Amino acid sequence: MNEQTLRSRIGVHGTLLILVVWSVVPFLWAFQTSIKFTRDVASKTPVLWGYETTASAYNSFWMKDDDIQMWNVAAYIAVIAAVAAFFGWSGRRLENGRAFFFAAAGVIALGLWQFPNIWRAEDEYDFLINSIIVTVLTMLISLSIGLLAGYGLARYTGISGAVILIIALGFRALPRSAFVLPYFFGATRIDQWLEDRGIAEWDFPLIDVPFIDEFGVLDSKIAIVMALVAVNQPFTIWMFRSFFMDVPKEIEEAAMMDGATRIQAFRKVIIPIMWPAIIATGLFTLLLAYNEYLFVRVLAPTEWTLPVAIVSLTGGESSRTITEGAAASVSITLPIVIVIILFQKHLVKGLGAGAVKG
Amino acid sequence: MLVLMVVPLVTTIWLSFNELFLRDINNPTWIGFDNYREVLGDEEFWAAVRFTLLFVAVTVPINMIFGLGVALLLDKVGRGRSIYLAALLLPFIVTPVVGTLIYKDLFDRGGLLAWLWEVATDEPFLITSGNVKWLIIVQAIWHVMPFAMITFFAGLQTLPEDRVEAASIDGAGYWRQLWHVTLPHLRVLILFVALISIMDAYRVYDSVFVFAGDRFTDAHTLQVYTVEVAVDPQIGRVGKGNAIGVLNVIGIFVVLIPFLVISYRDQIRERT
Repeated sequence: MNEQTLRSRIGVHGTLLILVVWSVVPFLWAFQTSIKFTRDVASKTPVLWGYETTASAYNSFWMKDDDIQMWNVAAYIAVIAAVAAFFGWSGRRLENGRAFFFAAAGVIALGLWQFPNIWRAEDEYDFLINSIIVTVLTMLISLSIGLLAGYGLARYTGISGAVILIIALGFRALPRSAFVLPYFFGATRIDQWLEDRGIAEWDFPLIDVPFIDEFGVLDSKIAIVMALVAVNQPFTIWMFRSFFMDVPKEIEEAAMMDGATRIQAFRKVIIPIMWPAIIATGLFTLLLAYNEYLFVRVLAPTEWTLPVAIVSLTGGESSRTITEGAAASVSITLPIVIVIILFQKHLVKGLGAGAVKG
Repeated sequence: MLVLMVVPLVTTIWLSFNELFLRDINNPTWIGFDNYREVLGDEEFWAAVRFTLLFVAVTVPINMIFGLGVALLLDKVGRGRSIYLAALLLPFIVTPVVGTLIYKDLFDRGGLLAWLWEVATDEPFLITSGNVKWLIIVQAIWHVMPFAMITFFAGLQTLPEDRVEAASIDGAGYWRQLWHVTLPHLRVLILFVALISIMDAYRVYDSVFVFAGDRFTDAHTLQVYTVEVAVDPQIGRVGKGNAIGVLNVIGIFVVLIPFLVISYRDQIRERT
């Protein structure tokens, strides 16, 4: 290696390291704050090292009881994560491993469900569950519509296809504020109508799961999911269409020659090729739904998801809420960071394959 | 899609001609253009317009150039690429509200950057109505730049190697390669990122809401202003909020028309 390439490599790595510092420092600072004692946070010159650590901020944000050994909680989470990871890993290794993915999801669901039975959790735990439900529902609905619509638009080559695409892009541009009020208005109208006819008090024995006390749209996950699907749909359609443009028509035609119907061809031949695209688009949908603030704040006065909960609960200025806010920030960020790191390669591959085509 | 998007839009336009209060949401009264007249005469509205335009004009170009630069750097790295990528993506994937909160903590009393400022200048750092706009803008660059970066980086991965080789055999230097081979390859992507960034910058809400809140009303963007007008529990004026919403929609389309025309032409060309 000659001197010039060495120097340029040092330059590249140096610049990148500076950039990494620029993007990571706030996270490190928040993490540090979250494990400090209040007296260290309040001190005028920041205590950068040599401080005592504590998990009390996490404790008071998530738990009702104040004297819980947070190590036990951490161990509980770690065991569940390990079991789920084992199932997921085996599912990837084995030929017909789909059952293992369901097992992994089941383990996670079981862990989440049993958590409040082991420790008395604060209300924030409900908001976490809300967040998860909203995110999963939005992803499912939005990806299925996107797949079908994108497929149709990619195969249909008339000029009105292009017009629909541009209109979809236009809808992507609409500001949230143009949506959130009509949704709010519509939801109150529907609820009024339901109440007038006495439907609101109906008891649904089958779906009387912990989530629904009174049947209505406002302040329910239905409203949030609908609104999120609406804002996200143009993006998923656009992405999937450009992926489908890359899939040659001949593949499905060959499958149909062999006697498969169009739907079978779509399910058995196209979907497997599309996995990178589904993962990339799904990740963006996940980010959108998990991070949404405005819709939830307006459409759900009490059924918050985590972002709204954090803003509402950490508005104060005292240093106690600073540590608690930092703990909340770290806890809300960690799951999504893990998901993104796991799927990072697919994200790059999917974006590269799809978006370049426009 | 029609039901979920067109119906709300029509409702917005209809409601914008009505006087309607949040606490009495089932009784709209038709008042014609009064809401619009009031909004256009409102100084707060124009302040929000100015700051929104400033925000878009500053953050979008910086994000794109910065993002492209980082993507090109990242492309040159062999080992450790995915670690860099993960670290640089962090600000983008974090929940915007949370990202703003932890970024704000750096500047608050006892925060790292506030302390550094105090050491350097001997004066305590305070978030004032003067600097809050620039703090919001820097935070937005911190938050959105990785999006441009990862999209361009993904695009660079699909750059066919033979074209790069052909260019370097022809004796093109790095910069000429960049200009004649790489950038044309990324053309569609650049358009895509520009579109998405403008849309997202125009409707920024979360970070401004957290940063400015009620304290710095002149740093409100259009979104924040709209929501403040419409959903305040006491004086929430849904009708007026909708009027601003309609103006927002008109505004974003005025900004976007050139881009929409370009991508429409691309779509048509792709077909023939």
